[in-house]
Amino acid sequence: MSLLDFARGPALQWSLIIFVFGVVWRIVGAALLMRTRDFSKARVSSGDRVKGGVRTILTRSVPPETFEKRIRFQFITGSLWHIGYFAVVLLFVPHILFFESFLGFGWPGLPNPVILVIGAITLATLVALLVRRMIHPVLKIISTADDYISWVVATLPLITGFLAMAHLGLRYETMLAIHILSFELLLIWFPFGKLMHLFFVFPSRYNVGAIFARRGVRV
Amino acid sequence: MNINMEAFDQFREGVSRLPEMIPPAPEMADDERVRRFKKTIIESVAPHQAMDLETCVHCGACAEACHYYVATQDAKYTPIRKLDMLRRVYRRELGPNRWLHKLLTRDITAEELEEWQELVYDSCTECGRCSLICPMGIHIQDMIIMSREALASAGLAVAEQRALAQEQGEKDTMFGMGKDMFMQGVERLRQSGLEVPVDQPDSEILVVSTVMDAALFNDAMEGTVKIMNSLGRPWTMSTCGFEGANFGYMAGYYEYRKDATMRVISAAIDLGVKTVIAPECGHAYPALRWDGAAVYGKPFPFEVLAISEFIGREMKAGNLKVKPAFSGQKVTYHDPCKLGRMGGVFDEPREALKALGVDLVEMDVNRQQSYCCGGGAGNFIINRAAPLRAKVWELKRGQFDQTGADTVVTSCDSCRINFMVGAQDTHWEKPIESLAALVGANLAE
Repeated sequence: MSLLDFARGPALQWSLIIFVFGVVWRIVGAALLMRTRDFSKARVSSGDRVKGGVRTILTRSVPPETFEKRIRFQFITGSLWHIGYFAVVLLFVPHILFFESFLGFGWPGLPNPVILVIGAITLATLVALLVRRMIHPVLKIISTADDYISWVVATLPLITGFLAMAHLGLRYETMLAIHILSFELLLIWFPFGKLMHLFFVFPSRYNVGAIFARRGVRV
Repeated sequence: MNINMEAFDQFREGVSRLPEMIPPAPEMADDERVRRFKKTIIESVAPHQAMDLETCVHCGACAEACHYYVATQDAKYTPIRKLDMLRRVYRRELGPNRWLHKLLTRDITAEELEEWQELVYDSCTECGRCSLICPMGIHIQDMIIMSREALASAGLAVAEQRALAQEQGEKDTMFGMGKDMFMQGVERLRQSGLEVPVDQPDSEILVVSTVMDAALFNDAMEGTVKIMNSLGRPWTMSTCGFEGANFGYMAGYYEYRKDATMRVISAAIDLGVKTVIAPECGHAYPALRWDGAAVYGKPFPFEVLAISEFIGREMKAGNLKVKPAFSGQKVTYHDPCKLGRMGGVFDEPREALKALGVDLVEMDVNRQQSYCCGGGAGNFIINRAAPLRAKVWELKRGQFDQTGADTVVTSCDSCRINFMVGAQDTHWEKPIESLAALVGANLAE
């Protein structure tokens, strides 16, 4: 079995199993803790609390004006690399073909040069954010190994993808295999570190929106 | 400001001498402290908090919302970091990946718990502002309350709050003042010709006060009494449920908190009232309005309103009228965190101010985004936190000055104390008024 066959075969299967099982385990594990009932009288109906929660899920992607001034860099760079990353993962034609091979359907992609530019901006932003994490006093004091592991694991597929796409470094098949393996590493690490915020961000935002809505406060 | 500044100076003196009178902290072995801290956290974390604890990406945005970080630029005050002890216990003992975290991460130590006391008590006022900025939607405020409970159980509540919580829990007094001081306040008002019903059966409304108002902020107490009398509805105060302040709630002692809350609840039930009004004491409102029913174990058979909320509501209904005595005066309103952001009371106090004819000038940051006074959640009695409060006062003073207002109005004793201390120490001359006092003193005939 070649490295590429391994990457496309058992490595993909096992990494997906770990990803799915790990994600479900972590969400269910957090959701099953005991809950206490809130007997205080809400200012609004339960429907409005749901609305408040849903509103915060949507609105929290953009900070309110007061805060925007203070966190502009974080907000712009954070949004930029997330959008860029998803664009590269989901809209690069070879990726779409890969997804189509087991999903059975595809979707239109972006031209390669566009993906290349988006990928370069995303990588540059990730590097800037890493440097910032290492020098900003607040980030330095709150960062853990998870932050750096997650950065490496998220950035490796981007770098190896560039190399494979540009036919740089090792032989193309080997580079492609390494690229796929780096993505599988991302899947395996996913349930254990902070990348899980991809799922937890929704209940977390919903809760803060609903908690404040209950008290008649829009956040 | 119609208050006795001598009493204010005495209050400051009393707070500064608190450490001399505090009984020593409970002695406990280090591993027992860690065990108790963990136990409290393990028993307290709810699923929505677990989601929050799982989702932090360590972006540091919360620092930019915290008045202590903004005022000092010291990274140690980053809000999410204040939860580090709680988070580590969650990850190692409770979270779904605890097996992994137990393998890879260090356990908390008693020394670290001692270090975190300053972060959880001195440099967090449970103001909730960081909940507005977090891109993940993490609600840090209620986990600080939990952290305080866990530290208190480990014998590590901050000394001044521990002493006050204990005093209130065991003797129903604060700073040595209790029912006698409350009744002195009542008698003083009666001597000035006001009718002050106490323990009046068949009342519709129970007005809760605090010894702070009886001893210091007489103007707020007097204003409240005048407002209530003007409405012509049966109302009363109570010798059992007169105290709205709840140091057990702030310090993290559940049993003391429960005692203080239950005294008010029992008084309200015994009197059969339909409405309970919390005084201008910031945390008295959430202690009863939002967190009281959890202590009671079921929904209240009465409604709870803050006095400022009640005033605005009665004005809107046309039951309460004031003279436009402050016509054209520039006034700014400081939203106390516990009433505003954490309570939803924004419009009512503004309605009242407008009825008084003021030219209301809002601060650059206001309503749910308002900066805390710097001394809420019992911080104002922590002596070693005074320099930190002074820094926040500079932030608030800058906001006040920017409005060009002649007067600052608020509806919380803690906010008022902090501003008055800051103003006194920096020779800032503008009056810091109570909403209830202003309304009560200017009722239409």
